[in-house]
Amino acid sequence: MAAPEVVAALAGEPLVDHRSPAPAVTPAPAPGVDVCLLVEGTYPYVPGGVSSWVHDIILGHPERRFSVVNIGSHPGAYGEPRFQMPKNVIALHRLFCQDGLPAALDGPARNELAEQIRGARARADARTTPSRMLSAFRRMHLDEEVSSELIDDLGSADLSISELLHGRAAFELFSEMAERLAPEAPFLDLFWHFRAMHVPMLRVLATDPAPAACYHAVSTGYAGLVGAVWSRLTGRPLMITEHGIYSRERDMELARADWIQDHHPSLPGDGAGTTWAPRVSPLRRVWSRFFRTLSRIGYLQARRLVTLSEVNRRKQMADGAPADKIEIVPNGVVLRGSPISADGVDGVVTAGRGATGSPGDGQSWDEGVIPIRPAKLRVGFVGRVVPIKDVVTFIKACDLALRTVDMDVRIIGPVEEDPGYVARCQSLVDRLGRHDQIRFLGPKKPAEIYGDLDVVALTSFSEGQPLVMLEAYAAELPVIASDVGACREMIEGRTEEDRALGPSGIVCPVASPKHTAAALIAMAQDTRARRRMGRAGRRRVTAFYQRRTMLASYRALYAALVTS
Amino acid sequence: MIDHGSLTGAFGAYLTGVAVTSAPWLLTTTVLMSLRVLARNNGAPDFQSVEHLLTVIYALTVVLSAPVHVVVSRYTADRLYDRRVDLIAAPLRRALALTMCGFAVVGAVAMAVMGAPMALAVAGTVVTVIVGAQWLALSVGGGMSSPMTVLYAFGFGAPISLIAPMAVERFFHLGAVGYLYGFGAGQLVTLVIMLHGVARAIPEHSDESARLAPAFSEYRLLSLSALAYYLSIWVDKLVIYAVMGHDAAALYAAVSALAWFSVIPAFGWIYVQIETVFYRRFRAFYDDLEGGASLRQLRSRADAVTTETVRILRGAAVVQAAVTAVALLGAPYLMQLAGLAPVAVLPFRLAVVGAALQVITLLEILVLYYFDLRRDALWVSLVLFLGEATLTFACWALDWPPACGYALACGLTCASGAILVRRRLGTLLVDTFQSQPFAGRL
Repeated sequence: MAAPEVVAALAGEPLVDHRSPAPAVTPAPAPGVDVCLLVEGTYPYVPGGVSSWVHDIILGHPERRFSVVNIGSHPGAYGEPRFQMPKNVIALHRLFCQDGLPAALDGPARNELAEQIRGARARADARTTPSRMLSAFRRMHLDEEVSSELIDDLGSADLSISELLHGRAAFELFSEMAERLAPEAPFLDLFWHFRAMHVPMLRVLATDPAPAACYHAVSTGYAGLVGAVWSRLTGRPLMITEHGIYSRERDMELARADWIQDHHPSLPGDGAGTTWAPRVSPLRRVWSRFFRTLSRIGYLQARRLVTLSEVNRRKQMADGAPADKIEIVPNGVVLRGSPISADGVDGVVTAGRGATGSPGDGQSWDEGVIPIRPAKLRVGFVGRVVPIKDVVTFIKACDLALRTVDMDVRIIGPVEEDPGYVARCQSLVDRLGRHDQIRFLGPKKPAEIYGDLDVVALTSFSEGQPLVMLEAYAAELPVIASDVGACREMIEGRTEEDRALGPSGIVCPVASPKHTAAALIAMAQDTRARRRMGRAGRRRVTAFYQRRTMLASYRALYAALVTS
Repeated sequence: MIDHGSLTGAFGAYLTGVAVTSAPWLLTTTVLMSLRVLARNNGAPDFQSVEHLLTVIYALTVVLSAPVHVVVSRYTADRLYDRRVDLIAAPLRRALALTMCGFAVVGAVAMAVMGAPMALAVAGTVVTVIVGAQWLALSVGGGMSSPMTVLYAFGFGAPISLIAPMAVERFFHLGAVGYLYGFGAGQLVTLVIMLHGVARAIPEHSDESARLAPAFSEYRLLSLSALAYYLSIWVDKLVIYAVMGHDAAALYAAVSALAWFSVIPAFGWIYVQIETVFYRRFRAFYDDLEGGASLRQLRSRADAVTTETVRILRGAAVVQAAVTAVALLGAPYLMQLAGLAPVAVLPFRLAVVGAALQVITLLEILVLYYFDLRRDALWVSLVLFLGEATLTFACWALDWPPACGYALACGLTCASGAILVRRRLGTLLVDTFQSQPFAGRL
């Protein structure tokens, strides 16, 4: 097995170089690293809620030494780190699911590759003992249960990529899977999809475990898989925190994925909706099952499973997570200022937040009285402009609401991740003729965002427990959110005590511009209710979602894991 | 034609197959034999040296140009498949220029080695250049222009190649040199017509940056295979010449040439079957593969390709067996008709059996080419070449008829080729998937 690429020595500390293979079973905790955080694609390269959360966790545990393993798609997919590494990060490792894009091959190179393939085929076919990894792949797709033996087999790293792509045994496995899982699906497509599923696994699992006293995967999926295998190999405990439910998020992506070609060429029309399967196409089903199995592998091996909300806990259990492993630790924010503003009459606020002003860091909301009714409802969408946030629905809802009420709409968040989607959103705004009312402001610091808003809206297809909502609550802003993840319980309350605080916003169905528009109109027209909801939010975040509470929970969890 | 379902349509199709596969060499052989007869009738004493030179020229051009032809032919076919016809003209021009220069050198060296007088050497070199270029044009013209263009070129050039030498000899009294220039003029006409046909198929716009050199590396196995196959055509004659002398070799060459005529019907049959039913099955497999076929459908398509291949091999064998049987039975009469001594009957019969097995071997190589199994095609060609060389020598050493070595070598190669084809087609589906450069690199 090869060691992961160590990309940076951080904070002047010596690199923890673990290029020599670690012992297979139960080594002593690695000197130096208490917690190895495994993240899929996010920290420190991609801005967003999960990255911020990881950063906060590291900063919130200065007594612990961390290493971070970032599992990315391919070299060059991400730019420079977006976060300054805290001093207690000892090492940052990068694993890639794929190579970079291969260059076009000319004649001699193609010949050379053909020779290599010939050699690889001969070697693969000459193998006398069956591959444990290949057997594990088979069980992942065809068996109902996951087991520790399955994880051990995945960790055996006894299969090379060339054997998978060019070996007879792998082809026979793919054929069996095609026959049993999707007998009518295009075999060429299936073959590429099987390849796309398993090559990343081979790549990330061919890496020696990064030594640590415990592993903490910040999702299931590939991060959870690596965590599970490393945990088995080293005997060190694994904890998984799921913000969103990985398998459900992937299901939603799969439902919209245009890289799965599953329309039947013989059916009339342009292919849209003309799937050759009556409902979910087998290709999407195979992927869905694959992601679900990855999650179950993580659930099985993890000693502790942390989730953010009751909703997510139920989903995890439905996906096979043992109830006794799950602990709910909501996210938290740091509250500044504090006292809740007093109730005000319609159009007059007694809190120190006016149409144009922001209290700023450390400034109290109740300093001074600026009884100004905003001329327009200032609506903010705060988040990355990416498909999963369903910005299109938000724009459509704003357009509908703008026909009734006056609004100043800002879309605040990074726009680099999916330029195609950003262009689609911008073009929609232009097409609706709303470019004066709906503006893309790009990323901003939290302190610059909320003071200038009246309401925050979130129309995501999927969320865990959005940090944006907590930040909005901290700023005493009500939230309109789609009914995903923990949004409903964050708005209506999770426990009796929580619910007694009253609603702190309005919950809307997913992908419903009409309902979201109605909520926006209600917020614009009923200032009193809006302010009441804002105050409820502030009380809610104060009572249940403070960062210090979250960090205390993790401190206890880490302590138990590290010393186990 | 064959799709019309009528007897005349089928007959026309097979006749076209015969014409396309056999007309160029058949016409050339006929011209050379006719020239010999006419020259003897005219009492031309120099013609023996012309005949000798032409044999050497054809042997050299066929063998040395084979690796180039197969690469140019494959390069052209690939560009046609990619719909990048603009990438053909520039490499073809350069290849033609290089071929002509190369064969000028080859021709000059050959003439020098043979000790030809200067005037004859110059004429011989010119003919070498023309014939070499002609093979190149044939390799491209077969894919780019209509088969009729090729037939037209050889059909028009052949009579000129026959008449012009006699005319030059009669009016200018140039002797052997005149024969060569006259023959060369006819071949030049063939070359020009073929090049004209190719030029008409090439678009006006041409990408001058296109290069042929990488194709020589990419298709090196094909190139070596072609070289080995064409060497095998001559190697037995060379062995006999080396161990038994000129007269035995001349007799053997004559019976071999006559025996090779027996494969013409099989050639026609193979051409029609490969271009029609087999090609449809072959395309159906790959079209279905790319078009979204399920595993079950692909297996069925692969089975159909295998069945079709076996059917073509059997069919070719049956057609060839019928012709071979007739040739074996009529051997004494045929030898008498060709003016050869009765001693030629046994070598002829052996050569006919060898030719029958060789044509099936050729079909096996063709099938391996179709599935891009270059290494296997090279293996079969090498077995044929080395088998002919060693078994011809062994038979001479054992005091057996040397033609027996040729027949044994062809039989051995035919059997090994059949085994390879069978084995490869049995794993067509898995090979198709597992041989692809999925990762871009390993």
